Amino acid sequence: MINDEYFLAALRLAAGSDPIPGHVSAAARDAFGLRVSQAVTAPPADCATPRGVRGGDGPGMIRFVAAGLTFDLEVTVGDGLIDVAGQVFPHPGEGSHVDVRTPHLTLTRRLARSGQFAVTGLPPGWLSVVCHRPGFAPVQTRWVRIRP
Amino acid sequence: MHEPRDPAELLKAAAEDDHTAWDQLESRFGSRMWAVARACGLNETDAADAVQGAWLRLLENLHTIREPSGVGAWLATTTRREALLIIRKEPPGFPSFDVVHDPDPATAVLEADGRHLLWKSVSAMHEPCRTLLQLVATDMGSQQVAMRLGMPVGTVGPTRIRCLEKLRTLLSLQETVQ
Repeated sequence: MINDEYFLAALRLAAGSDPIPGHVSAAARDAFGLRVSQAVTAPPADCATPRGVRGGDGPGMIRFVAAGLTFDLEVTVGDGLIDVAGQVFPHPGEGSHVDVRTPHLTLTRRLARSGQFAVTGLPPGWLSVVCHRPGFAPVQTRWVRIRP
Repeated sequence: MHEPRDPAELLKAAAEDDHTAWDQLESRFGSRMWAVARACGLNETDAADAVQGAWLRLLENLHTIREPSGVGAWLATTTRREALLIIRKEPPGFPSFDVVHDPDPATAVLEADGRHLLWKSVSAMHEPCRTLLQLVATDMGSQQVAMRLGMPVGTVGPTRIRCLEKLRTLLSLQETVQ
């Protein structure tokens, strides 16, 4: 029935009913501020542990790889908020840091010697991690949607 | 008055850090993306996620869109893909992300600049289809549609299906002619 739904949506669009909410337009415009100049984007990659995010009964692992860096993100959703425990390896070097980003909130963390970092209490929705390393282009993970 | 910039020009400008160009892309294509997400049956929260996801994909691909003039169709197709991932509850980091154009004429109506053609086609239909589809487009419920058209409530659903089928045929014919 999706074809009929497309027609009906097209008719509603033409008629001006069900307009795009203002906050959706505003979020789209604000997204421009999330671009990272010269960044390399790391796509998802296969991970030894099962992929996925679970609420309540344990974390899920997502792996991204690009430009010689691997990001392992262990994502937990609980109480409507997101916790991320991550590791970047091999260690990107002295002075490196990560930005853990959602469209409305960015948290910056220095990397431990092991390349590990953690953030808690992020709002659900879209999430990306950017690794900044001196002398090299930043590497950002592809945006992923995390919802309970 | 400046001529409105074409999509390829807007995309190029946005890739060169022009925030105004990005805003214009949103003005031009945001409503269509919303309609695509809603057409997939998503509620407001999920539709907002699908639309936002498509804009974030555009950010990731600002310098690598193969056909800049088709950025509107790319955004609509990407919105649809994100919507379907949400519907299927694919886990985050779902690996494949190939944007494929959908040949379905109904999709084309939403994803191309076909809205005027659509409305024109509806206006050219015989009754009761013309009025019924115009009423349905304003989200009027079956009972009100039945009252306005003087038909039994039970026949509104089947008539709507028949009218949409006729509209689909009309659009396919027009596409063939073009």
